[in-house]
Amino acid sequence: MKHRVPRRRPFFLAFLLPSLLAAGLFLAALGDVLQYSFRTFIPGSLDVGGFTLENFLRIGRPIYLSVLLDTVTISVLTALFTLLLSYPVAYALVRARRDWVRTLLIILAITPLFTGEIVRTYAWILVLGSNGFVNSLLKDAGLITAPLSLLYTRFGVTVALVQFSMPVMIILLATAISHVDRNCERAAANLGAPPLMVFWRVTLPLTMPGVISGTIVIFAWTMSAFSTPQLIGGGKVLMISNLVYLQGLSTFNFPFAAVLSLLALLVAMGSLGLIRPAIRRLERRVALH
Amino acid sequence: MGQGAAAGTPPFAAETAVELVGVGKSFGPVTAVRELSLAIRRGEVLTLLGPSGCGKTTLLNMIAGFEEPSAGRILIDGRDVTEVPPYLRDTGMVFQSYALFPHMDVFENVAFGLRMRKLPKAKIAAEVMRALEMVKLGGLERRRVRQLSGGQQQRVALARAIVLRPKVLLLDEPLSALDKNLRAQMQVELKELHERTRLTTLFVTHDQGEALSLSDRIVVMSRGEIQQIAAPIELYRHPANSFVASFIGEINRLPPARCRLSGGEIVFSLAGIELTAARRDDLALGDGQQVHLFVRPEHLAVAAEAAGGRNRIACRVVTHVYQGTHTLTRVEAGALGVLQLRVPGGAVIERAPPGSEIGVEINLDEAVALPD
Repeated sequence: MKHRVPRRRPFFLAFLLPSLLAAGLFLAALGDVLQYSFRTFIPGSLDVGGFTLENFLRIGRPIYLSVLLDTVTISVLTALFTLLLSYPVAYALVRARRDWVRTLLIILAITPLFTGEIVRTYAWILVLGSNGFVNSLLKDAGLITAPLSLLYTRFGVTVALVQFSMPVMIILLATAISHVDRNCERAAANLGAPPLMVFWRVTLPLTMPGVISGTIVIFAWTMSAFSTPQLIGGGKVLMISNLVYLQGLSTFNFPFAAVLSLLALLVAMGSLGLIRPAIRRLERRVALH
Repeated sequence: MGQGAAAGTPPFAAETAVELVGVGKSFGPVTAVRELSLAIRRGEVLTLLGPSGCGKTTLLNMIAGFEEPSAGRILIDGRDVTEVPPYLRDTGMVFQSYALFPHMDVFENVAFGLRMRKLPKAKIAAEVMRALEMVKLGGLERRRVRQLSGGQQQRVALARAIVLRPKVLLLDEPLSALDKNLRAQMQVELKELHERTRLTTLFVTHDQGEALSLSDRIVVMSRGEIQQIAAPIELYRHPANSFVASFIGEINRLPPARCRLSGGEIVFSLAGIELTAARRDDLALGDGQQVHLFVRPEHLAVAAEAAGGRNRIACRVVTHVYQGTHTLTRVEAGALGVLQLRVPGGAVIERAPPGSEIGVEINLDEAVALPD
C-alpha cells in the first residue's frame, strides 16, 4: 500500500516570504558590491570607470594586510576573553540558589544590550582616557606617575569589544548550562569526583556546543565591528570596517571599499571553515542529541 | 574514601553499615522527613517503600550527601559523614534517570569512578570488564550510551556503581523507567547481582511488588515518617497499621467490629452479622474491644452454597478481572460493602456471571485486626 505524502502546509510559502524578500535584497546589495569591486576608481568623482582587477592587487600591500591581521587578532582575542569572562557569570546565573542573585545577574548581564552602542563606547572613553577612571585610580594609588595609554590602543578596543559581546555570550552559555542534567554532575560527585573535576569532566564537556556556537558568533560579529574601534581606536587602531569607511566615505574610493568588504566577508567565512573540522571533532566527542 | 569501622567502635557497628540517628529534613516550612532513626545492616537489601512525596528519595539524597539534613547524624561504617561532601562518602548511587554521561562510551562511564581513584590503567580495564560481565553487557564497552536501550542503560548505571564496591549501594527507583516485562526481568537480575556482590543496598521504590520481591527488610514510609520496619512476609501478614495494611498488597477493609472471646474462638460482630476466627497468639484482643478487620482477597473463597455455614455471606457478583493464574472478583456483600476475592483459575467467570448471587466464605484465621 502506498503511503500518501501529506499535502504541503498551505501557509508555508507565506511564512517564508519575508525572509526570502530580505535574502533577495541582501543578495542584490552583495551583487552590487561585487560589481563595484571590478570597476576603476576615478579620483574626485563619485562615478566609477571601466573593468579592472587592480583593486584586488592593491590589498596585497603591507598596510592593508596589517589591518586584516589586526582585525583577525582582535576578533580572536575578543572571542576568547568574552568566553572566559562570560562562563563564570552564566554559570552563576543558572546555578545561583537565591532568586535575587539570579535576578541581579540577569540585569547586570543584559542591560548593556539596551544601552546604545555609542553611549557605551563613550563610557569606555571616560574610563580608559589619560585622565579617565582607571588612570586616576592608579595615579591616586601611587602605582603610576604618567598615565598609561589605554585609549587608542588595541588593548582598549579589545576591552570594549569584550564588554560589548558579553551579554550575548552569557545568554548562549546560560542556555547551554541550564540544559546540563544536574544528576550527571551528582553522579560524578557520587563516583568520587571533587567539584572542579565534576566541572572539568562533566559540566564543561556537556556545555561544549554552547561554548563553540558562542565563540563563533562573537568572533564573526567582532570581525565586522565598526563604532567601537572607530571611537576607542581613534584612528590609531584600524579594523576592516573602519578601513572600508575610510576608503568609501573619506576618499570615496567605492571600488576599493567594495573589495575590502568582500575580503572581510571571505576572511570571516574562511576562518569559520578553518576551525570547522576542530568543531566537528569536538561535537562528535560530545555527541549531544 | 573513608577507612572501615574504626577499632574503637562498639561491636554492633560491625553489623551496621549505615546508621541514621534522628535524621530529619525540612524545606522551609515543609517537613520532608520527620526525625527518624534507622540502621542498615551489612549486606542486606533494605527498601524504603512509600507513595511519592513520603520522603524516601530525600532520605536517599541525604545519605549520598546531595541534601544536608536539618537534624541528626548519618554514619557510614561507623564514621560520621554528616558534614562530608558526596565525593568522599563512598556510596554508589543508581539514579532513576540513570544519569549516564552522554559524552562518554559505556567503558568510560564505568571507568569514571576508578579513574577518580587514580588506579593503574590495566587494573581499570580489568575491573570495568568484570563489572560489565556481571551486568551482562560484555562486548558493548565501546557503545555510546545514547545507542543503548533503557534496560542496557540501567545496567551501565548499575555497573558504574558496583565497580567501586561502595559501602552502600543506593538505588533510586531504578526500575521505574522500564516497561513491565523488562522490569520483572531486571528484578530477578538485581536479586542475583546482590547475591553475588553482597553489597549493602538501600532500595527506594513506590512499587510494593518490587519491594516484596527484592528486600530483606522493608521500611514503609508515609508523610516523612516510618510506619513499619519488617521483613516482607511479616509486613504482608502483620501490618502494623491501616496505612501499611492497605499499601502492601490488596486488602479488604471491613466495617468496625466488636470482639467477644468464646472458648477457643474470637467472635466479631459487625454490621449485624457475626464472623468467627480461631484464637491466635498474635491477636491479643480483649473482650468487647473495637477493631477494624482487614482480609486479603486470597482469604475469601466462593462457597458451594449461597447461604448458611460458618463465616459465609450471600453476595452479588459485580465484575471479574481475569489475570491468568487467578481471577479478581468484586462482589457486593450487603452491609460489608464491596469485597474483592482472588479466585484460582478463570472458571468462576462463567459459573457466576456479573449479577448472579453467590456465597462467599471469609477465612479470618489470617486476617489482620487493628484496634479502632
